[in-house]
Amino acid sequence: MAAQSCSQFHVFSAEEIEFIAEDELIEIVPNMRMDQLNLIRGDFGPFLPQIATEVPLWLAVALKKRGKCRIRPPEWMSVEKLTQVLEAERDSEKEFQVLPFHYVEISRLLFDHAQDDIPDIYMVRSLMEDIRDVRFHKVETSLETFDGRTSAVQIRSLSAMEVNIVRPFVARALQAFQKLGNMVPETDSVPSTRPQGTDKAARGRRILRGR
Amino acid sequence: MKVRTLKLREAHKPASNGSPSFCSVLWDQQAHHLVTASSSDSAISIHDSLLPSQAPKILRHHRDGVTALAISPNSTCLASGSVDHSVKLYKFPSGEFETNITRFTLPIRALAFNKSGTMLAAAGDDEGIKLINTIDGSIARVLKGHKGSVIGLAFDPNGEYLASVDSMGTVIYWELQLGTTLHMLRGVAPNTGTDCSVMNVLSWSPDGEMLAVPGLRNDVVMYDRDTAEKLFSLRGDHLQPVCFLSWSPNGKYMATSSLDRQVLIWDVEKKQDIDRQKFDESICSMAWKPIGNALGVIDAMGKYGIWESVIPSSMKSPTEGISNSQSKNSNGLVFFEEEEKEEEPGPSGSLSDVGEDSFGESPPSRKRLRKQSVTEEFWEDDDAFEEISLPSKLKAQKTAATKHKEGPDKVKECVRNVTSLERPKMQDAFQPGSTPAQPGKRRFLCYNMVGSITTIEHEGYSHIEVDFHDTGRGPRVPSMTDHFGFTMASLNENGSVFANPCKGEKSLSTLMYRPFCTWANNSEWSMRFEGEEVKAVALGTGWVAAITSLHFLRIFTEGGLQRHVLSLDGPVVTASGFRDQLAIVSHASDCLPSNDQVLEYRVFNISNSTQLLKGRLPLSPGSHLTWLGFSEEGLLSFYDSKGVLRVFTSQFGGSWVPLFSSNKAKKSDENHWVVGLNAGNFFCITCKKPDLFPQVMPKPILSILDFSFPLASSDLGADTLENEFMLNSMRLSQILEQMEEMTRAGLDASSLDDDAYSIETAQDKCILRLIASCCNSDKLVRATELVKLLSFANSVRGAIKLVTALKLPNLAERFNTILEERLLKEKGEKDATVTVNAKTDKYTARDVLGSKASPAPIIPSASPHLSAPPLVKKAKLQDAAAPDKDNGVKVDAEDVNKSGEVNNDKLVEAKKAGKDAAEAKSKTHRPFNPFSKTKDDHEKGKSVAGAENQPLQRPSNPFLKSKIK
Repeated sequence: MAAQSCSQFHVFSAEEIEFIAEDELIEIVPNMRMDQLNLIRGDFGPFLPQIATEVPLWLAVALKKRGKCRIRPPEWMSVEKLTQVLEAERDSEKEFQVLPFHYVEISRLLFDHAQDDIPDIYMVRSLMEDIRDVRFHKVETSLETFDGRTSAVQIRSLSAMEVNIVRPFVARALQAFQKLGNMVPETDSVPSTRPQGTDKAARGRRILRGR
Repeated sequence: MKVRTLKLREAHKPASNGSPSFCSVLWDQQAHHLVTASSSDSAISIHDSLLPSQAPKILRHHRDGVTALAISPNSTCLASGSVDHSVKLYKFPSGEFETNITRFTLPIRALAFNKSGTMLAAAGDDEGIKLINTIDGSIARVLKGHKGSVIGLAFDPNGEYLASVDSMGTVIYWELQLGTTLHMLRGVAPNTGTDCSVMNVLSWSPDGEMLAVPGLRNDVVMYDRDTAEKLFSLRGDHLQPVCFLSWSPNGKYMATSSLDRQVLIWDVEKKQDIDRQKFDESICSMAWKPIGNALGVIDAMGKYGIWESVIPSSMKSPTEGISNSQSKNSNGLVFFEEEEKEEEPGPSGSLSDVGEDSFGESPPSRKRLRKQSVTEEFWEDDDAFEEISLPSKLKAQKTAATKHKEGPDKVKECVRNVTSLERPKMQDAFQPGSTPAQPGKRRFLCYNMVGSITTIEHEGYSHIEVDFHDTGRGPRVPSMTDHFGFTMASLNENGSVFANPCKGEKSLSTLMYRPFCTWANNSEWSMRFEGEEVKAVALGTGWVAAITSLHFLRIFTEGGLQRHVLSLDGPVVTASGFRDQLAIVSHASDCLPSNDQVLEYRVFNISNSTQLLKGRLPLSPGSHLTWLGFSEEGLLSFYDSKGVLRVFTSQFGGSWVPLFSSNKAKKSDENHWVVGLNAGNFFCITCKKPDLFPQVMPKPILSILDFSFPLASSDLGADTLENEFMLNSMRLSQILEQMEEMTRAGLDASSLDDDAYSIETAQDKCILRLIASCCNSDKLVRATELVKLLSFANSVRGAIKLVTALKLPNLAERFNTILEERLLKEKGEKDATVTVNAKTDKYTARDVLGSKASPAPIIPSASPHLSAPPLVKKAKLQDAAAPDKDNGVKVDAEDVNKSGEVNNDKLVEAKKAGKDAAEAKSKTHRPFNPFSKTKDDHEKGKSVAGAENQPLQRPSNPFLKSKIK
């Protein structure tokens, strides 16, 4: 049974999530001239020196590695913004501040590849870590409120990484509750009663919602 | 006098043979650490003054004895010089080794930091004192003049001079700005010969007013700061020559040590010794504790100690008044700097001077303002009286005064800029794309679409860097140390040109050109100008231009050949080059009383030696020029301080079109600093107000902004469309003009055809949308005017469809009329061209075809009564239409066949419209008309003829139209 549910509630690895996050757009300032790139997901460029343009994160990182651009850290990655967010996170018990769905991955990628482009990187990095810790803690405490009647969980503004971490537990717990609540002996009913929200979350929605 | 004893602790091992060695001691700024070193020990010790029992931190980086120590004024950096010929830098207080900042060929004897810590002077047995930039480790200058080894160095606290003393006893005052010797005092200090354990020091008083040097008569002699005259000496109980001296932090006291092993404390003002201490060995170095009443000492055996409460409590503490004296000092410094800046010849204003000038001038100007407003109040009191007695003259003055009242805001706005605040002042010369000098910060000498040239000044030397935006394409240009102090520069793909104003009599104004890649070595060149000063420089393909204070325009070739010298009309404001063209803006006359600059522009073609344009530069009222340049297409444009970008157009006999206004931009809290432009957009750096210009760090980012005409707010409510419409028509006219020029020059202009065509289509689209909005807001006359502006007949048809859909039959009919007239006219033109054209056959054939298909003659007079869309045909022939012929015929035929079915639905619409109109007008005509709807395809040059089964009595005829482009 345990093995079965594991395969059901498939968990992404951190690398996979990062891979998904690499599709997020980010602004770069190229220092070379290049024609428009026609990619499957859209056209990017043309690239003109010193003129900011938006590209997917993976492209930004690739260019950065070749020394062809500077990455402009997104607005939410500034010290002021993060300080605000951190304060707000600490103030409100239940709510989560709105951060990009992939904020953990984006910040990680930028810290790894574009250290020199982030002003006050130490500050930003530590703020980022604080925010992450606070949020994870909040997620954990909010999960403590589970009881036998809970059939769905709704948390707004949860990020991909956070969802990914709690998903297996929540899904399984809910399933267990459901099973115990229904007291239906057949195991066949399990798949049908699986909370659909987890699937949604897996597809990249911000809300982890059960029905 | 009581003699106290002070216990010394060993810090460094004495020399193995027991001979005295030179040891040094230093305090850090906060008095937390005491640094000691000995010339017989390769280690440097950092002692914690708060925990003297703790083992000191030892730095072992030198391979031989450490002879000199220096700590930067903010205590972040420690420098040490050694017998092993190297000067090393460490982080302080961590003691982390940073770099070997320089090497000598012989042992180092002395080190000194300047007050800002940006420069380190090092000297020793080598010839010459090296001035080293601590930031990049580059050697800014080598001062040569001493015969013996230099054993003492001291920077003037005001940062102007460096004093040095050598082992022969010669003292030299150096002027740092120029690196020249100001005064040389031979044999004033004791000759120490080759005794390395004795250091002759010299030291500036903390206020910088005098220099203390050990004298020949066992005394200390004070020399004046500027004249180097002997002021007085401190002479007393020293029995042997003084070997070290140290000012107390506030400059009231001085500690001197002598070879007779005594340390004396002096009250400098009273020229009296107040305390003394005898030691077992001679004290080689002393340092006053920056905070508190203590003196750190170290003797020739490497033993150090801290002499507490040196100054008796009955007297003023050695640090008392330090904050005062320091602030006084710094005030003095600022004052001095201002003075210095103001001394710089005002009119010689390169941009840097300008910025400084306005900094320097702003406070007095405010004062003046205050005075003005006082007088004004006075006037206001006597207003009535005056208005009776002194009418016009005073009034004029008064309005001027009222204007000044707005001054303070203006002052704030313009404090960093070139504008004149009070009386109208002719603006100074500047380089486009440069930013004013800011102390201690890097600034742009030139920033354009190619790259940037930046400079930063360290103690009289500048470091210039050239960067290309496109790092892949531009060559790598090594940074250079600039001994001239360049304030003007220009950059393009091939090279860079620099120029400096003359400073004083000694340095002439110099123009220097550095090509980036050339096949010959050493192809950079420079020109010097005697009695003349470069005011502006510009660069183009194969030429360099410099405009000087004598109003000469000098043209050099890329290789440095002096090609032309021309006289210009007035003082230059700025210049800009682009390929063959050189644009120069100069003053045409003094400013108008309304504070308007009177500027004139001239555009030359350098390779043809012709003047292309000349005229007055239309600035916004009360503004001054801030940028001049060419667009990527070569159109001259400029930007003024009111934030208006204007571009030259040859329409209307050569006029300027305002294409952007910073005030009307969406974000009002930003200033735009223009960098360049192309046909459709311009590139600028946006600066958050109140900044008027960008900083070098962080690297600025260009933003692309669209042009926008300063349109009046129209009742149409379609501002963006109107703007687009204006822009398109302007660009179209530019392209057509360009094509004309190219054909005149015998070049193939067909490459521009596509551009023209795409703009035409865009324009038609825009017009159609405008028509729609006109119809929606019931501006039918405007809509009709717009229809006349459509480029393609098909677009007119689209317009007809549009208005029909909008249920405006009246308008539809008018459009029809317009269309018909237009087609007729074009036909007429075409016929004319056909007859004139030598290659008639091609067209005749087509005509024949047309006439065959539509034998009925055209009756233009009937058109007003026309009730339905006529049959039309428009073919755009591109140059070679011959292959189209057959094709065209074929298509014609097809169309004829198809027309009935293909256009059915469209027909119905038009029919309806036509019917309505017809009923309204006259019933004599049949409302129903068959017609062919043709598809106009420009690119293929497809010709489509509409031939129909003609109804009788039809005034309209299908006809063939070819437009030759």
